[in-house]
This record gives sequence, C-alpha cells and structure tokens, in this order.
Amino acid sequence: MSVIESPVQQVSNPGLEALLNKLQPLLDGGRLDNLVDLASLLSDLVDLLDAPLVEKLSTQFEEATALSWNLGNAIRLAKAQTREQPTPPSLIGLLALLRDPNTRQGCALVLRVLNALGKQG
Amino acid sequence: MSKHIVVVGGGVGGTLLANQLVVKLYPEILAGQVRITLLSSSPDHFYKPAFMYVAFDLHFNEELKRPERSLLRPEIDFQVQEVTRFDFAAQTLHTRSGKRFGYDFLVIATGCVPAPERIEGLQQGGDHFYQYAPARQLAQRLATIQKGRIFITVTFPQTPNVPHQCGIAPVETTLMLDDYLRRRGVRDKVEIIYTYPTTAQLLRNCLFLQRPTGEILPGIFAQKNIRFERGFTLAKVDPEQRIAYSEEGQAQPYDILMATPPIRAVDAVLQSGASQAPNQEGWLPTNHETLQVYGLDGVYVIGDTVDLPVSKAGGACHNQAPVIVNNIAGEIRLGRTVAVYDGKVQAAAQMGLNAGMPLTYDYQRDVLPTPPTKLGGLLRNGFNRGLYWAVARGML
Repeated sequence: MSVIESPVQQVSNPGLEALLNKLQPLLDGGRLDNLVDLASLLSDLVDLLDAPLVEKLSTQFEEATALSWNLGNAIRLAKAQTREQPTPPSLIGLLALLRDPNTRQGCALVLRVLNALGKQG
Repeated sequence: MSKHIVVVGGGVGGTLLANQLVVKLYPEILAGQVRITLLSSSPDHFYKPAFMYVAFDLHFNEELKRPERSLLRPEIDFQVQEVTRFDFAAQTLHTRSGKRFGYDFLVIATGCVPAPERIEGLQQGGDHFYQYAPARQLAQRLATIQKGRIFITVTFPQTPNVPHQCGIAPVETTLMLDDYLRRRGVRDKVEIIYTYPTTAQLLRNCLFLQRPTGEILPGIFAQKNIRFERGFTLAKVDPEQRIAYSEEGQAQPYDILMATPPIRAVDAVLQSGASQAPNQEGWLPTNHETLQVYGLDGVYVIGDTVDLPVSKAGGACHNQAPVIVNNIAGEIRLGRTVAVYDGKVQAAAQMGLNAGMPLTYDYQRDVLPTPPTKLGGLLRNGFNRGLYWAVARGML
C-alpha cells in the first residue's frame, strides 16, 4: 500500500505544485520552450566566457567606470565652485584661473585628448 | 571652525573610506566646514589579494597597481607621507619628512605586515604570497619544481580570537596549487600537505577557522589527493635541512614551505602605545560595533589593524567603511555615533584556478560553504580585473 502511495505524496509536494501551477499557462501557450531556450542561451554564454574574455570585459568596465567617475567628480566640484561665485568672473578673472597648475594640467589634458582624437581620424 | 579628518593608509580600507566620507559629508566639504586628508607611504595603490595570483604567474605587477591619486575624489587632499608617530594626546601625526598633521577625527587604515622573521628560520627557509617580492620568489619555485613535497603551514596571531591575514587564503592557494601542478603535468610527483595549527581562533584541532567550512575540507582534499594534518603549529624552520618543526613536537621535511606567516601592525601603530595586544602584534582595541579605538576620542580603525574576530581582508573593510563614515558624520552633525558594525565580511573565494565560491559571514553566522562553480570563478576573475577598482573608488 505504502509503495503505491509514495509517488502521490511526491506530486503533492506543495512547492512543486505551486511551480507547476505557475508554469501551466506557459505550457498551455507553448511558451515554456522560450524559457528553456533562454536557459540554453545563458548556458552557451557561460561556456563562451573564459578567463581572457572576462579580463577584456573587466578592463573595459574599469575604463568606462573610471572615466565617468573622473568626469562626474570634476563637473560636480566645478559646478559647486562656480555656484559659490555670485557673479561670473571677468575676462581677467578667467585668465587668473590659469595660474593654478591644476587648471593648466587640465588644459594640457584636453588638448592631448583632441590630439589623440585627431590621430584616430 | 573646520573639522579635519585624516585617514592614514592608502590601502583598500583607507581609499574606499575616504571616498565615501566625501560623498557623505559633501555639504560640509563645500561649505569649508570639513577637510579630508589621506596620507599614504606610497604613491601607488596595490590590489593586495592579487599577490596570491602572482605566485601562480597569473598576474603581472603592472596589473595590480594604480596611482593612488587616480582612485581618490578631487576633494581629498592626498599626500605621500609616512606617519611615524601618533600623538593622540595632542591630536597630531608626525611624518618621516618632518611634517605634522593635526586632526579632529582620525581613521587608522595602516593594515598589517607579514613578519616571517618572528619564527626562527622561516624567513630564510619559507615562502609566502602576501607581498609582491615573496610571491615572485614563490612563483619561481612553483614554476620549476619537478618532484618533492610542498608543505603548507598557517600561523595565527597570539592575540586571542584574532585571525591571520585573509582567512580563506591558505585554502584558496592550496587548491590553486593542486590545479597549477596538474596543469604543469607534475602533480603526481609532488606531494601537497596542508596543515593547520592546534589553536585557530576559538577552535582547536581543526582544518579551518570556522567549523562548517573545516568539516567539508577533508572531502575536498581527499578528491584531489591533498594530504592534510591537524595540530601542526609552526615553531621553527631549519632552512639548511629543509625541515619544519612544530610546537607539538613533529619534524616535517619539505622542498617548498608555503607558509601563512605571523603578522603584526605597522611600526607607527606598534609604537603608539595604544595597543594592548600580546606579543607586540599591535592590534588596536576596537569597539566591535562603532569601530572606535577604545580610550581615544575621535579615533577609528578599519581593516587589518583591528583586534576583532573577523577576516583581515578587503571584504571586511567594505562593510566597516560605511559604519565609520556614518559614525563620523553622526559625531559632526549630532554629537554621537549612529551606526553599528555587525561583523559582515564577504568574498568570492578562489577554489582552484577555475572555480569560485561566493561567501559571507558576520559576528553571528559562520560561512555556509556551497559547491565551488565556474561562474563563481568568473566572478572572482572579474572582480580581480575590474570590479575591485570600482570598489576602491567607493562606487560599489
């Protein structure tokens, strides 16, 4: 008797039953295949990922985040400093900004970026 | 009156903390009410966990360092200054160049240093992977060994319930070593013996400093034909004969001794008089919730220099930093601390050259080990190569 009952008990597992109920509409519409195919695609992607590919993606991640972080930091600080000045600086005031070595460093950086952009055609 | 916050140490703890302080205290910084200074003895920042990969020829020196300035927000005054003396009474720091820095709040993030010289013969006879040059030397030996015996030892601080550097590192490197030697085709001729000391924080006669992980290790090691032995507390090394002696009275021959050596705080912390740790180890007496140093006003400590039972690793700093940031902001804005550290540490352990195991634990819960996976290994690799730098910048 108990041998016959045991498969019934397995099917009446509440977790499994809830999952089957949830999947039923997908099964009815023939759309469960999409999910299985998606899992298969994800699995293929994981197979494609190896150490050199992860290294390339991670390096790109760092370059992109570092660049956006640097620009974001610079603009945030510059905006705050500009907001503090009640009136815009005069022409002489603008030139005075160039006295700061960091400003000159920034100017050189921008010019070199333009130079490199030019090189790339 | 402007408040001056000084962070000492340009490792991951000091760097991510300083960046997060800027975000938290941005209104005060713009108003000139708060200044943040970071002092480091080096212009470069090193991703220290990568030294372990250097030992297996998986990371070049150029890939594991960045200029510290490039990791800090522009609001932080970064200076390459080695702090040589803490004058807590006068709230002043003295540096090797003769400069003095006054502070209202101080965060000590000076880490720890390996001290193999504290075990007789270990410096001459042993190898480790916790700094770049020793890791390169170990890499050279591992790349050329053809047959013999690699003996692995782990030394804990003598301060009760304080772990060695990065708790999982000896297991990670043992499993990486097994894979590496298989890849080289010499594994069948090289014996690997993993040992653990009799006392490991609060545990005795185990293979790891937390029981659930320690219990699964024999199964993992057996699958890979890695021998293991409990109760081997390294006492001295004979570099000529290549024998490691234990406090328990054993003598073990070796061809390569891959040791997790004793560690200590940096000289300036050791000499500060603030530590009561035995054996001149220098761990600072740390409030385990607020992360303030007991007995010192406005002084916090992050990372390896604490005397807490959590891993001396970046995964601990990552969770300690927001607590310190909120507590300093609380002290400035409300006159009291507001945040509590729950002991959380997280990591993605490298379980062999290609597999990883994400893990987390805190003061209350040990790591519950899960089967290492390829995805876990890719996550760790991605962290090593890219995500880490975003963490240091305080972005993650």
